[in-house]
Amino acid sequence: MRLAFWLYEGTALHGISRVTNSMKNVHTVYHAPQGDDYITATYTMLERTPEFPALSISVVRGQDLARGVSRLPGTLEQVEEHYHPEIIVVAPSCSTALLQEDLGQLSRHSGVDPEKIIVHDVNPFRVQEHESAEGLFTKLVERYSLEQSMTDKPSVNLLGFTSLGFHLRSDLTSLRRILKTLGVEVNVVAPWGAGLEDLRNLPAAWLNVVPYHEMGRGAAHYLREKFGMPSVQGTPLGVQPTLDWIGNLLEKLNAIAEEKGLAALEMPPLTDFSLDGLSAPSGVPWFARTADMESFSGKRAFVFGDASHTVGMVKFLKDELGMQIIGAGTYLGQHAEWVRDQLDGYLPEPLMVTDKFQEVSKKIEDEMPELVCGTQMERHSCRKLDVPCMVISTPTHIENHLIGYYPVLGFEGADVLADRVYTSCKLGLEKHLVDFFGDAGLEYEEEEPAAASNGQPASSAQGSEAGDGGAGDPDGMPWSTDAEKMLRKVPFFVRKKVRKNTENFARENGETNITAEVFKKAKEALGG
Amino acid sequence: MASVPGATQLIKEDNVTHSFCGLASVGWLYQKIRDSFFLILGTHTCAHFLQNALGMMIFAKPRFGIALIEEGDLSRQDPNLEDVIAEIKQDHHPSVIFLLSSCTPEVMKVDFKGLAHSLSTPEVPVLFVPASGLVYNFTQAEDSVLQAMVPFCPEAPAGEKSVVFVGSVNDSIADDLRSEAEELGMKVGGFLPENRFDHLPAIGPDTVLAPIQPYLSRVVSRLNRERGARVLRSLFPFGPTGTRVFWEDLAAMFDITVDLKEREQAAWDRISEQVGQLKGKRVFFTADTMMELPLARFLKNVGAEVVECSSAYINKKFHARELEALEGVRVVEQPNFHRQLQDIKRDKPDMIVTSLMTANPFVGNGFIVKWSMEFTLMPIHSWSGVFTLANLFVSPLQRRSKLPEFDESVWLKGVMPSAGQ
Repeated sequence: MRLAFWLYEGTALHGISRVTNSMKNVHTVYHAPQGDDYITATYTMLERTPEFPALSISVVRGQDLARGVSRLPGTLEQVEEHYHPEIIVVAPSCSTALLQEDLGQLSRHSGVDPEKIIVHDVNPFRVQEHESAEGLFTKLVERYSLEQSMTDKPSVNLLGFTSLGFHLRSDLTSLRRILKTLGVEVNVVAPWGAGLEDLRNLPAAWLNVVPYHEMGRGAAHYLREKFGMPSVQGTPLGVQPTLDWIGNLLEKLNAIAEEKGLAALEMPPLTDFSLDGLSAPSGVPWFARTADMESFSGKRAFVFGDASHTVGMVKFLKDELGMQIIGAGTYLGQHAEWVRDQLDGYLPEPLMVTDKFQEVSKKIEDEMPELVCGTQMERHSCRKLDVPCMVISTPTHIENHLIGYYPVLGFEGADVLADRVYTSCKLGLEKHLVDFFGDAGLEYEEEEPAAASNGQPASSAQGSEAGDGGAGDPDGMPWSTDAEKMLRKVPFFVRKKVRKNTENFARENGETNITAEVFKKAKEALGG
Repeated sequence: MASVPGATQLIKEDNVTHSFCGLASVGWLYQKIRDSFFLILGTHTCAHFLQNALGMMIFAKPRFGIALIEEGDLSRQDPNLEDVIAEIKQDHHPSVIFLLSSCTPEVMKVDFKGLAHSLSTPEVPVLFVPASGLVYNFTQAEDSVLQAMVPFCPEAPAGEKSVVFVGSVNDSIADDLRSEAEELGMKVGGFLPENRFDHLPAIGPDTVLAPIQPYLSRVVSRLNRERGARVLRSLFPFGPTGTRVFWEDLAAMFDITVDLKEREQAAWDRISEQVGQLKGKRVFFTADTMMELPLARFLKNVGAEVVECSSAYINKKFHARELEALEGVRVVEQPNFHRQLQDIKRDKPDMIVTSLMTANPFVGNGFIVKWSMEFTLMPIHSWSGVFTLANLFVSPLQRRSKLPEFDESVWLKGVMPSAGQ
C-alpha cells in the first residue's frame, strides 16, 4: 500500500467517459456509488460543455447492497426514456467491480433493447484511463464499421482525437489545414464528434491517420485487418516530423491512387501551408538559427509526459532547437518500450518510467534543468523549485484548456511550442547582462508571487503554493553569513540552483556547512 | 410522500443526482483543522476525484492523501497502513490523523474501527471517519469528522453554561459569532471544530449546541445523547430573518430575552437593492451541498419564488424550523435529476442553484445559474454575512443583464461536437 497525492492517469471510468463524451447519441451508465460521476465535472468545467455530458449513474447505496437490490435496470429505463441514446455503455466502478455482479444480466432485466447496451466490463484495479479508452473505442469500431465503397477523392479518417485530449481542438484544426492544402478530404474524425453512422462509414476513407500512440491504434489495426485500410502513424510534432508525416501520407495515398488509376497527389509548394500563403510554413527553422537563439544550444532540458508528447518533445528540443536533453520519462508504463525505442540515441541515461510524481519532482530538484517539459504535476513541482516549466502533456489544468488557437502538432504547432520554450527560458542578451552585472535592479521580482514564469498568470491558488526550495529546505545545509552574502550576488533566478549545486558540491567534498571558502571553491569547480 | 407537521410537503425520490461523495469535505476540513492529516483509504477513483474536483484547493503539499488500494491489496481485509502512517508523521507532524473510509474498503468490509484503534498512539490518535459514497454525500462527512472528535472534547462540568457553535467556519466568521454572542450576554465555550485538534471545546450538560451549518444533525444528537448537551432548534443564521431568529432563540436558551427586529430591519435595509432584484424571481435548487433549505428560505423571505428546493438529505427534526418556514414550497429529498431537468425545461426558472457538474450545461440551455458549492466556501453567516449572501444570488442575474444578446445557434457551434444530433 502506498501513499498517493497525485496521479497521472485517470481511472478506467474516466477513459470510458472520454470516449462516450466525445460521441453523439452514446450514453454511459456507471454502476457506482454516489459521487463517482465527479468525472462529469471534468467535462462541464474544463471543456465548458454547454450540454449535459451523456453520463448517468445507477446509484449504489449501502442499504441497496444490504437488501440485494440493484438500481441498474431502472436507471437504464430512465436513460432510455429521457434521452433515447443509440447505445448505452454500462461500466462498473471499483467498488461494484468487487461485488462481481453480472452487469450484462442485470442490464437484460431492464426493458431496454439488449442490442443497444454494451457492457464495458473493465477491471478498474488493473486497467486505467488510456487503456480503457483505447479498448472501448476499438470495441465500438469493431462493432459498427461496415464495408463501404471508397470515396472518389483521396480521404482519411483522423482517429484518436478524444475529449480532454491535450490541445485537442487546435491540433485537429492544424492537421485539417494541412490536409486541405494537400487536397485530402477528412472522411471521419473519431471518436471526437462522431456518431455511430460515422463509425459505420469509417471504411469509406482511403486510409487512417493515427497521430497518437495511446489512442486509435487498436481501431486502425482492426480496420487494416478487416478492410485492408492502410494507416499513417506517428505524431507530426516539429517541422521535420510534419514534413515526414506529409511525405508518408502522400506516398500511401498515391499507392492507392495508382491502384485506382487516378492521378497522384503532388506535394504543393511549402508556402501553401502558411496562413498567408506567402511565407514559410513555420518560423522555427529560421528562429533556431538566429543569433538570439545561439545561447540555446547548451540549455539542459528534461521531458516527462505521456508517450506521444514525450517522444515528440525530446526530438523537437534536440533536433530542431539544439537543446541538450538531460533525461526523459513517461508515466505510461505500458508504452515505455515504444518510447525507449523511439528515443534510442537521444537520452544520456535510461528512460524514467514512473507514476509517482514525487520521483519526478526529486529528479528535477537534483538536476535543476533550464527547461522542464511536463504535465500539470511537473508545473507544480517546478514552481516550488523556480525551474522554468511548460506543460506538454496530460494531465492538465484549466490553463491548458484555453479558447485560443494553440496547436502543438503540424507546422503551426511547431511555432507555438518554440514560442513557449522561448518565453519559458531566460534567453540571449538578457541572460548575459544579468549574469554579468548581477541583479541590475531586477531583485524586486523575487518578492513577487511566482507569476508569469512561462507567460501565464499565476492563479491565486498557485501563487500561494510557491515554497522556497532554499533557505527553509529541510535537506539544506547551514550557510555562513558571508556565504549567504556571496549568494545574494548571484542573479536571483539562478540562486536556488546555485544554492543546491553548492550544497551538492560540499557534500561530495565532505563539508557539513557552507562557508565563504566552500562557496568560492564550488564556484570555481562548477564554472561560475 | 410524507408530510411534516406544519404542512410542508416533502417528496422523496430515488437520489439519482449529480453531486460529490463525502470525501469532498476534506477540501475545507484539512485547511480548517491545521494540525490534522486526512488519510483516505481508497482507490484510484478517490484520488482522481480529489485532484480533479478539488484541484483548485490543492497546494504543493496538502495535508491529505490516499492510501491507495491496488489490485494486490484486495485480498487482504486488514490493510497494513503502518508505513503510510509513519510517512505522514515524519512529513507532516500532525496532532491527529483522520482515517476516512471510501466505497471499496466498505465493500471489502474492512474493520475501520479496529484499524484506527490499532494505529492510534496517545500522542497521535488515528480516528475513523465514515465518508463513503455508499452512504454519505458531499458535506455530510464533516458530520462524521466532528463525531470522531467528540471523545476528545473535554467534559464541561455541570453548571458551566456556555454556547458551543457547531460547524467549520473561517476565523473572521468565528470572531463575529463569538462577539455577537458575548454582546448578547452569553458565554462562548468555543467552536467544534476549532482551528486545532489540541484545542477542542469542553462540552457538558449545560452546554448549548448551536449548529451553524445545516448538515451536522448526527453530531449534535450524539452530543445531546452522550453529554446531555442541549441543542438549539432554530433557523440557521443566514439572511436577516434567519440571523435574528437564530440569535433570539439562542439567547432564550440562556434565559435572555432580546428583540432584534430593529437589527433585522437594518440588515434588510442594507440589502434593499439586492432584494429589489431578487423579488419575484423564480429559483430552482437541484440538490448538492445540503445547504439548500436555509438558502431557499432566505430567498422566500426576500420575496423570491422557490420553484423547487431539493436536498440530498433532510432530517425532519434537525431541519424542522427551516421546513416550517418553507411552507408552500415544493421540497424534495434525494431528487431525480432526469425529472428535474424535464421540469426545469418546462417551468423555465429565472435562476438555478446547482452543482459544478451541471452548471455550464444549464447555462448552455439558456438558464442563469449559481454554483451551489460557492455557498459552502463564502462568509455568509450572521449579520456580517448578509451582504455577501444576497450578492451571491444577485451577481449572476446582474452579470447576465450586462452581457449582450447571445445567439446560441452561432456562438455555441462546435463547443461540444457530441451534443449535435
